[in-house]
Amino acid sequence: MAGVVKAPAPGAFAITPHKVSLCILVHTYASPSQISVPFPFSSVSQHNRLGLYLLALTKSCDDILEPKLDQLINQLREIGGLLDDWLTDHVTSRLSSLSAPDDLFNFFNELRETLGGPDSGVMDDDQVILDPNSNLGMFLRRCILAFNLLTFEGICHLLTNIGIYCKEAISSSSYEHRLDDSGNDLESLSEYENMDLNLVFKKINEEMEARKKATEQVSFHLHLPKDLSTLVEDVEVFADPKPEHNEKGGESSSYASGDLLRDVDPDGGVFLRTNWQIQGYLMEQADAIEKSSCGRHGSSFTFNAFELTLRQLQKLAPEFHRVHFLRYLNNLYHDEYFSALENLHRYFDYSAGTEGFDFVPPAGSNDFGRFEIALLCLGMMQFHFGHPKRALEVLTEAVLVSQQQCNDTCLAYTLAAICNLLSEIGFSTTSGILGSPFSPMTNVGTSLSVQQQLFVLLNGSLKKAESLKLKQLIAANNLAMAKFGLTHVQRPLLSFGPKISMKLRTCPIVVCKELRSGYHLISDFCCEGSTMTTDGAFSTAWLKNLQKPMGSLVMSQDNGSGNNSNPFLFFTQPSSIPGSVLQLVGSSYLHRATAWEMYGSAPLARVNALVYATCFADASSSSDAVVVHVKLIQHLAAFKGYKEAFAALKIAEEKFLCASKSRILILKLQLLHERALHRGHLKLAQQVCDELGVLASSVTSVDLELKTEASLRHARTLLAAKQFSQAAAVAHSLFCMCYKFNLQVENATVLLLLAEIHMKSGNAVVGLPYALASLSYCQSFNLDLLKASATLTLAELWLSLGSNHSKTALTLLHGAFPMILGHGGLELCARAYITEAKCYLSDPSFSVSDNPELVLDPLRQAADELQALEYHELMAEAFYLMAIVYGKLGQLQQREEAASSFKNHIVALDHPHDADDPFLS
Amino acid sequence: MSEGCSKKGASFIVLISTSIQFNTQIYFSKMSSKESCRNELRTAIRQLSDRCLYSASKWAAEQLVGIEQDPAKFTPSNTRFQRGSSSIRRRFRTNEITSTPPTGFAYVSTPVMEEDEAIHGDFYLLAKSYLDCREYRRAAHVLRDQTGKKSVFLRCYALYLAGEKRKEEEMIELEGPLGKSDAVNRELVSLERELSTLSKNNMIDPFGLYLYGLVLKEKGNEILARKVLVESVNSYPWNWSAWSELQSLCTTVDILNSLNLSTHWMKEFFLASVYQELRMHNESLSKYENLQGMFTFSNYIQAQIGKVRYSLREFDQVEVIFEDLLRNDPYRIEDMDTYSNVLYTKEYFSALSYLAHRVIMTDKYRPESCCIIGNYYSLKGLHERSVMYFRRALKLNKKYLSAWTLMGHEYVEMKNTPAAVDAYRRAVDINPRDYRAWYGLGQAYEMIGMPHYALHYFQKSVFFQPIDSRLWIAMAQCYESEQLHMLEEAIKCYKRAANCNDTEAIALHRLAELHRELGHPEEAAFYYKKDLERMEAEEREGPNTVEALTFLATHYKTQKRFEEAEVYCTQLLDYTGPERETAKTLLRGMRIAQSGFPSMDVEHFHP
Repeated sequence: MAGVVKAPAPGAFAITPHKVSLCILVHTYASPSQISVPFPFSSVSQHNRLGLYLLALTKSCDDILEPKLDQLINQLREIGGLLDDWLTDHVTSRLSSLSAPDDLFNFFNELRETLGGPDSGVMDDDQVILDPNSNLGMFLRRCILAFNLLTFEGICHLLTNIGIYCKEAISSSSYEHRLDDSGNDLESLSEYENMDLNLVFKKINEEMEARKKATEQVSFHLHLPKDLSTLVEDVEVFADPKPEHNEKGGESSSYASGDLLRDVDPDGGVFLRTNWQIQGYLMEQADAIEKSSCGRHGSSFTFNAFELTLRQLQKLAPEFHRVHFLRYLNNLYHDEYFSALENLHRYFDYSAGTEGFDFVPPAGSNDFGRFEIALLCLGMMQFHFGHPKRALEVLTEAVLVSQQQCNDTCLAYTLAAICNLLSEIGFSTTSGILGSPFSPMTNVGTSLSVQQQLFVLLNGSLKKAESLKLKQLIAANNLAMAKFGLTHVQRPLLSFGPKISMKLRTCPIVVCKELRSGYHLISDFCCEGSTMTTDGAFSTAWLKNLQKPMGSLVMSQDNGSGNNSNPFLFFTQPSSIPGSVLQLVGSSYLHRATAWEMYGSAPLARVNALVYATCFADASSSSDAVVVHVKLIQHLAAFKGYKEAFAALKIAEEKFLCASKSRILILKLQLLHERALHRGHLKLAQQVCDELGVLASSVTSVDLELKTEASLRHARTLLAAKQFSQAAAVAHSLFCMCYKFNLQVENATVLLLLAEIHMKSGNAVVGLPYALASLSYCQSFNLDLLKASATLTLAELWLSLGSNHSKTALTLLHGAFPMILGHGGLELCARAYITEAKCYLSDPSFSVSDNPELVLDPLRQAADELQALEYHELMAEAFYLMAIVYGKLGQLQQREEAASSFKNHIVALDHPHDADDPFLS
Repeated sequence: MSEGCSKKGASFIVLISTSIQFNTQIYFSKMSSKESCRNELRTAIRQLSDRCLYSASKWAAEQLVGIEQDPAKFTPSNTRFQRGSSSIRRRFRTNEITSTPPTGFAYVSTPVMEEDEAIHGDFYLLAKSYLDCREYRRAAHVLRDQTGKKSVFLRCYALYLAGEKRKEEEMIELEGPLGKSDAVNRELVSLERELSTLSKNNMIDPFGLYLYGLVLKEKGNEILARKVLVESVNSYPWNWSAWSELQSLCTTVDILNSLNLSTHWMKEFFLASVYQELRMHNESLSKYENLQGMFTFSNYIQAQIGKVRYSLREFDQVEVIFEDLLRNDPYRIEDMDTYSNVLYTKEYFSALSYLAHRVIMTDKYRPESCCIIGNYYSLKGLHERSVMYFRRALKLNKKYLSAWTLMGHEYVEMKNTPAAVDAYRRAVDINPRDYRAWYGLGQAYEMIGMPHYALHYFQKSVFFQPIDSRLWIAMAQCYESEQLHMLEEAIKCYKRAANCNDTEAIALHRLAELHRELGHPEEAAFYYKKDLERMEAEEREGPNTVEALTFLATHYKTQKRFEEAEVYCTQLLDYTGPERETAKTLLRGMRIAQSGFPSMDVEHFHP
């Protein structure tokens, strides 16, 4: 009947048997009229430990259902130490003594005494009174209030449920055969109630003790020396029915399967946790889904298991609409288009976008609903499923609606989403839509190129975010800006007027500034992401690590590398940074790595990638993780050779099993292609290159970046096959494409390639302008490494113009050397060395016999470095030069050695054989 | 004890099988089938009410009285009781059905059920009295040691009802802010256990099977439930409750076709009702009309025909049918909400208020009554009150589909979009095939300026009801909206609308206009012409006519087809206004052009 009753949920605090037992424990913890350490406790730490435990119980959010009595008893046993018997006895006897509604009334009256009055500001030191405003005090007050609100029927139900709750504990602990007559009829239930449960419990406890002793699993560890106790702990890990908790996905699945079992139970008292805890649980799960999106943790199982949990939750609380959203997420990340769409619509139909979103201003005008958020989500979904055009339409509508509704927050997010969309998809397709009269930024006009529109949008979004103080969005926008700054030239936006302010360069400083401002997010992170999850998550984690002895943090970390995924213990101050923020900060490192890669500092790129891989691996989304692995492996290939790279690739492939279609596969093809080129295995190279081309234009859309790369590699292959005119044609058309779509970095690369083609074909003069053009591109985009490599090519060109230019070449080369040696990969260095040697050799004023090491040293270096790459052609050249030098020096033996090496490599180049290659498919 | 029981069971089976052989020979002539039908029903009513299956026996009794009496045998007083005026019936029955139900003969006759022994019979009588007074647990307790089939059934049924009653109560007691928690019938588990044991030992009668099926359905075991229910109706077809349960489990045609049902005239009723639910309206209608040949005066069939015709949007006939029905059965409430919908659509204020008054005097707390009042207030424009009554209807029956949809309409009227969306969505979640609610969702979203989002819902609605032109037009208008401006798609939708009997004639006109805007003069002319033809056929005139004529005249003039152009121009001259002047100018221009060119040429161009 909630047709209009949108007033949701915060009041959903129902009193359940589990809460009653918590109340009993709280009552024990803070029983009035006692001295500082109340009766059953022998030490302050013991007392505190129970308090912490209770606190964690009220906060933890590891499931949707409350624990059963036997679970509670088990946990009590773990934390209670010597007290465990007393505590469990106390709880069970208290519960079983509640046999009539009046007992409940008395019990809750008693509870009220535990709370200090509102005016009890002055407290005696030796008296324990629960502060009504403390966490536990609030909990108690809510329980009492909830109880007072109950109707008589409600109290009867509570009583019945307490009966079931106790009975289940009995039947599940030892009396299995009782399940048969557990029945549902009230008669048998009341029989149980009338029975003296106390007695039953004692018997059970005795029996359980006996069983424990027989199996020798649990009960000793408190009396033993520490190292022995850890040994016992290890054994216990095996005895634990739950799998080891090292990753989120695994956790959720194990819990869900547990729920499944419970679901079978006809009316086993299942009770939902508090709304707040469920929300926390769902948010945790949402994070987990997103993180395991590409299936790092065996996704197929998680999908179904989580779906089951959601279904159960929906059955138990049909008006809890957030379930639909979670279902949408689950479907989204498991590529179920139709059900994702269906659930998205269902969620927003029910909730009107007013439930569960953190960034909805709480006091907003709720009478209309926030359907623009629905549009935003729909747009992002369409984008995720590869319908960028549709996504753009939807997002445009979202912009309109949020402008109408004056929902600036949503507008800022929508703009950011559009920016993301524009920067991700190929630019060629969108111009039609953005030009329509309803484009988000009508005032800009339609004459701008898409990049310029993107820039305008980015600025607008950033400003909106800044004015609304949406920290995360600001950071995300900063990142996007940095990305934009990396890849695009900034021009003045107005195309009319005097063109004096034309600025044709990217600015590394701007990029770094943008990136840096992302870090500030951590320092002044405010509560935009909700704290409830993190708080609850720590409680959950603490509950799972109950067995850790208190206070011996060092020891537990020493031995617990296996089963301890979370180094925080409850009493250490948790750094409560939500995962999404961590992810953002992490991806700023990733951007840094990319930026350095482009600007040409390999070591810095590697350092950033490594920082990301080590510090943010937990928080990263799997696609980011893949990217970082790809970067590191590429780095390995360039600096350590293929052997190591392929070894690393194998590890990465195992780690990202389901993602095989994506970047890992591309990386593999790239590596294979390069190696094939180096080894002179041209057929294979062409084959791999074709495969890349296929990947580039998939059914859904064309990946422009990949397409460029594929044809770049195609040109390279042709070049290696000495089909110069064809190679030049391919490169030329590629350049046209890059120019058309403003792919500046690629422009420089292609120009360089053209220069190389012409040089190899013997037309050094034709090659020169290309090399120079490439050089100027590199300069304006601060592509330092590429610039160095262009300089090298230029030097080579000069050299091939004739020996009288060798001085020029050498000067050029020496200018580029610091950059090449400092940041360049193996191939580049080797090429530089060889060119240097060639310069010296072709210089008529240079005599070998005077200074042989000046030539021999670089040649040796080059040969060493090329060894790892198996680059036969260059190696042959190096050995050839070496042989000549040795010949001139008259060192015949060395000359023969160099000559035979030369011959070997020539032979290898002409007869490429498939070496033991596990990666050839 | 159990031995005796099994013996009884065996004798029962023998009885059935002999009666099968016997009955096969009877079912040939019409009269005897009518008479035997009557006999079957009479026995069945007694047996059903013995087992407190009230609604099934009510249904059977209605059909019994619905069978046409032999006019020769009965005095006028008897027939008067049956039906007064059948003139309307004749008016609307185009094809008089003369044959008996076409499926031929049934081969199961009413079995003589065993009677429990006398002493046990006393207990049975006490239990039945308790049950009649709705004291379910007492009834079950009285029968706790009885082993006769009837007693066992009655005990189980009493327990089931007790559980249902408690469930309803608990549902209200436990209703929390997050919706009701899972109130279940707590008797189901033990009932299932007992009934499955009985059925395994073959000690269960058709009524027991019905109850077993019911329990299985509640437990969510639909496949087995279907199997058991089929068994039940095959061995005892007169239990309409069993058929209804079976019908609710037939959600697709495939499921229906997979059922192994033996032939009986009750099966025709079942099929008609299933077809109706599956929106196979024409099939359903023909079944019902067939049945009407035999059960001429059945109010039930009449009401069902009314409902089917309502789905086919034949409102005039529906009105007549329900008027007739109400005359004969003035205190009927079932299905009257459909009647009120018709009155609402035709805006008959007084008739609707009269109906509302009548039902509220009869039974105020029926969901149908509340719905009728809601409709009345909605027609009066008092939407808040209307919502109140729809909510009351929903309180009485949470799964009352049309109330959710109608409430959504009211919220739309009240400009409370989120509430409207919520209401529609609930309707859709109860029955995903409810195209009206999908349509409502689309409209609501379109209203708040989200046409792209609304498209999804319109698509859903036309998917489930592709023959309704209004839905296509709504979708087309959505495509046409300023924001989307996807005219090609809009044209496609209008074409579909024009193909499915667009009564308001929007589609043709819009098609013509759109084609004109897009610069397709040929297509535009085609549709304008069609529109004109249509308007002439319906004898309507208006601005559209003038527009069409003007366009056609100009179009043909530019095409140099002067004769046609002249025809349209002369037609235009009949109207006043600026168009008249335009026509004159056009005519004049054409005369000049014709005089300028040799007239031969014109004829040459135009065969």
